[in-house]
Amino acid sequence: MLEDKLEDVFSYTEERCLWQFFSRTWDRTENIHGVVDQATALLTGKPPKRDTPMERLHYADGRTMADDLRERYPWVREAGEEEITQVMESLKARLLDTTIARSTNRELNHHLY
Amino acid sequence: MSACDTAAVKPAEVKLVPKDRGGIINPMYDCQPAGAQFAGIGVKDCIPLVHGGQGCTMFVRLLFAQHFKENFDIASTSLHEESAVFGGTKRVEEGVMVLAKRYPNLRVIPIITTCSTEVIGDDIEGTINNCNRALKAEFPDRQIYLAPVHTPSFKGSHVSGYAECLKSMVKTIAKTKGAPNGKLNLIPGWVNPGDITLLKYYMKEMGVDANILVDTEDFDSPMMPNKVIDTHGRTTVEDIQESANAVATVALARYEGATTSEYLQDAFEVPHNLVNTPYGIKNTDDMLRKISEITGKEIPESLVRERGIALDALADLAHMFFANKKVAIFGHPDLVLGLAQFCMEVELEPVLLLIGDDQGSKYKKDSRIAELKASAHFDMEIIHNADLWDLEKKIAKGEVKLDLIMGHSKGRYIAIDANIPMVRVGFPTFDRAGLYRKPTVGYKGAMELAESIANAMFAHMEYTRDREWILNTW
Amino acid sequence: MPMVLLECDKDIPERQKHIYLKAPDEDTREYLPIANAATIPGTLSERGCAFCGAKLVIGGVLKDTIQMIHGPLGCAYDTWHTKRYPTDNGHFNMKYVWSTDMKESHIVFGGEKRLEQSMNEAFDEMPDIKRMIVYTTCPTALIGDDIKAVAKKVMKERPDVDIFTVECPGFSGVSQSKGHHVLNIGWINEKVETLEKEITSEYTMNFIGDFNIQGDTQLLQTYWDKLGIQVVAHFTGNGTYDDLRCMHQAKLNVVNCARSSGYIANELKKRYGIPRLDIDSWGFSYMAEGIRKICAFFGIEERGEALIAEEEAKWKPKLDWYKERLQGKKMAIWTGGPRLWHWTKSVEDDLGIQVVAMSSKFGHEEDFEKVIARGREGTYYIDDGNELEFFEIIDLVKPDVIFTGPRVGELVKKLHIPYVNGHGYHNGPYMGFEGFVNLARDTYNAVYNPLRHLAAVDIRDKAQSTPVIMREAA
Repeated sequence: MLEDKLEDVFSYTEERCLWQFFSRTWDRTENIHGVVDQATALLTGKPPKRDTPMERLHYADGRTMADDLRERYPWVREAGEEEITQVMESLKARLLDTTIARSTNRELNHHLY
Repeated sequence: MSACDTAAVKPAEVKLVPKDRGGIINPMYDCQPAGAQFAGIGVKDCIPLVHGGQGCTMFVRLLFAQHFKENFDIASTSLHEESAVFGGTKRVEEGVMVLAKRYPNLRVIPIITTCSTEVIGDDIEGTINNCNRALKAEFPDRQIYLAPVHTPSFKGSHVSGYAECLKSMVKTIAKTKGAPNGKLNLIPGWVNPGDITLLKYYMKEMGVDANILVDTEDFDSPMMPNKVIDTHGRTTVEDIQESANAVATVALARYEGATTSEYLQDAFEVPHNLVNTPYGIKNTDDMLRKISEITGKEIPESLVRERGIALDALADLAHMFFANKKVAIFGHPDLVLGLAQFCMEVELEPVLLLIGDDQGSKYKKDSRIAELKASAHFDMEIIHNADLWDLEKKIAKGEVKLDLIMGHSKGRYIAIDANIPMVRVGFPTFDRAGLYRKPTVGYKGAMELAESIANAMFAHMEYTRDREWILNTW
Repeated sequence: MPMVLLECDKDIPERQKHIYLKAPDEDTREYLPIANAATIPGTLSERGCAFCGAKLVIGGVLKDTIQMIHGPLGCAYDTWHTKRYPTDNGHFNMKYVWSTDMKESHIVFGGEKRLEQSMNEAFDEMPDIKRMIVYTTCPTALIGDDIKAVAKKVMKERPDVDIFTVECPGFSGVSQSKGHHVLNIGWINEKVETLEKEITSEYTMNFIGDFNIQGDTQLLQTYWDKLGIQVVAHFTGNGTYDDLRCMHQAKLNVVNCARSSGYIANELKKRYGIPRLDIDSWGFSYMAEGIRKICAFFGIEERGEALIAEEEAKWKPKLDWYKERLQGKKMAIWTGGPRLWHWTKSVEDDLGIQVVAMSSKFGHEEDFEKVIARGREGTYYIDDGNELEFFEIIDLVKPDVIFTGPRVGELVKKLHIPYVNGHGYHNGPYMGFEGFVNLARDTYNAVYNPLRHLAAVDIRDKAQSTPVIMREAA
């Protein structure tokens, strides 16, 4: 079951989210954690952080993600905090694996932009 | 002063002066490799290989597509940093082999240098020898001609680049003198498919077997039910080989074709003849008479009639609408000087001629300028090495008052901003439809050009409400 | 296996690494085309050069800046009259181009004096213009002209002017992409934070990577005005030189074209802590999402929702009319790079179109990660596609319409396939809500073009009749 739900959120992210494909490893890492954490907070009824510019940025992306996931997948609307957190943590791991660890993009670790 | 007031008459002055700035604002010409590419695509089963950065090819292909609304195949060696440091000849060798392998019908590859590869100093002739060995080993049954074309962008312009490529292809392909073939080599220079169609018609009417170098009639190519793509030059390897056996060559373009004609005389004793590009009535007369004299063929009634129809049409326009109208002309030297002569025939006054390219010493020897000097009854300025800012500035400052601009599309905003009627002529003319199909040379071309001029003036009279009522009855 | 070796590439098998056919249950961890790699010489690639990436794509868009190209005239001629990026000040950027017109003597003795002369002439000729970008080209880079030193000297002598230099000759890098990079990084290093402008809103952003193609920037600007967001700088559509010096003052960087301009957004984040938000400006769903994200960043969500509701009410019915008629049509996209991933899903979601093949001229592997993540299974993803590959792919996927440049458009016309200009648009703008209706309309008019059906008819075939094509009123 978790696999199917992960597949849902992963395929949504693949289709819609440019933030996972920023230029360098550190940008992608920052976005994946930042945005998915904000989306998780929104999906589990916690107040998102909006103090720093980067928090506001990740809120903007995370809010769209949370809204879209709720609209696309009925199970998201019904899931409890624990399940959401579990799926979203798995999503992070999968994104880190896909877009960074196993990405063959030769520019990801260049120290300059 | 009215046109008939002769009290204060002074001898008309015709000046030939260079532009007074070093840099260029709005260039009138492209660089040499662009011209070389144009000559190259005029040959059938030929893909030019441009040795330089990719932009030198990509933009020139785009330029041709803009003008002809067609695609032409031109390849690049895609020069990169390591070639800039260590030389780029390996990329030429690789490019030639890739082309030969992927295009089985390919027979000619002009190898066109650019500024970068000339500065690097790549040995093109030596590379061609290597390529020829490799081609022989890989394709023992194929003959692919590799023509070295040295066209550094910091010399001349696309006009001289065209001449250089044409000559190199002839030198590379026409190797031996064979039996006389009775043909006449005709080198039209950088003209449109519509011009080629007309010239071929003239030769047919005269019974002259013409070998056109290069025949670009199919640059205007069809959409066919079987989806065949026939957008290419018609001049074949055999045509070029046969140019050595012709009765004579007639070059119709001093700056684009004369060097090839001279080469054929020097190498194969094919008599060289240079005539003015046949813009206007007299230049066309002179061309046909010269061809008649060389071939012994009579000028037929049909061309006498075509000439008459043209004159009949011009007579309706000249003294009523064209007389005393001031014209600026810019573009290729053969075009600009020829059109100035044509203007004089129809009573237009070409007061400002702009020709690009730093060839002032060559222009001084051009008999057309002497003729204009002798015949102009008004002041005329010929600026060489000119750019389009020269024209724009002279108009803005009121140094010239123009009724008409003739030139290519790169000057369109001068006319638009100054609200002066403009007739597109020359290359490129991408902002008007179908001009490549219409002749500008010959009697018919003179007639059609005059009619375009008249219609541009008429439309302008209407848009600006300037005596548009004259045309209420005509 | 999903990396494809096309028949036409059997002699250049390394091309297999650049062409991917997406299959179920695969992702870019397994298959990612190699991109931003050197082109094989002689393949008839579509690529341009680094110089044009800087001048034509980014710098030349600015509406108040002299573009001084230090080299032979061709580099200026060729990067002029090839773009459709108007401005609100009469299209200064499209009307003029400047060249130092390097000749052989400058190559031999150095071109710095010529550059200095040309720069001074340019400022003298256009005394209202006080900003300039100077570009090197292949030959001036090879001979080592120090354009920075010349710029410094001219700025010292003319205290009211500001000059930026770009050193990316055509041979640097593998495509125009290198020029984007050099200009981006040069600008942040040398010009950002050299000027402060008046801030008039608490919501400020830079809009990065949109070049006002047919008015895109100006259309989107109406949205930002309604939302009360001040755009500090447009990089670079309808933009000014001085605004770009103030980019450090914005609170948010919104990036559309991440390929040409992502670098400066990254640097602004690194150096000034300004967040980078990537959006897609083409398509209803994407545009709405972009507006929502920008408004969420600033905490003005309600304003965003009101704008989206207003725009959708106005344009959605028109879009849906086209969607009904474009449902299931097959599209190929052969453009620069980012438009592949911007468009593949938006034309599917908003118009029901299937994108069946895509080729990128200068995209990097990052662009292929994006497009493969978004794109369909069974679709071809091609890096640096060349002409023979295009023919083969067309046979494989049989598109109803191709979004590409005008030259390739002319080529596929012969195959009875309509094209829409994927670079300069047919009749744009294409961004935003209204813009995507324009794109839908142009696509519809292309796909339902009667001529392609007429072209298929062979009038010799008695079994065929020429159809009457029925169309609906839009």
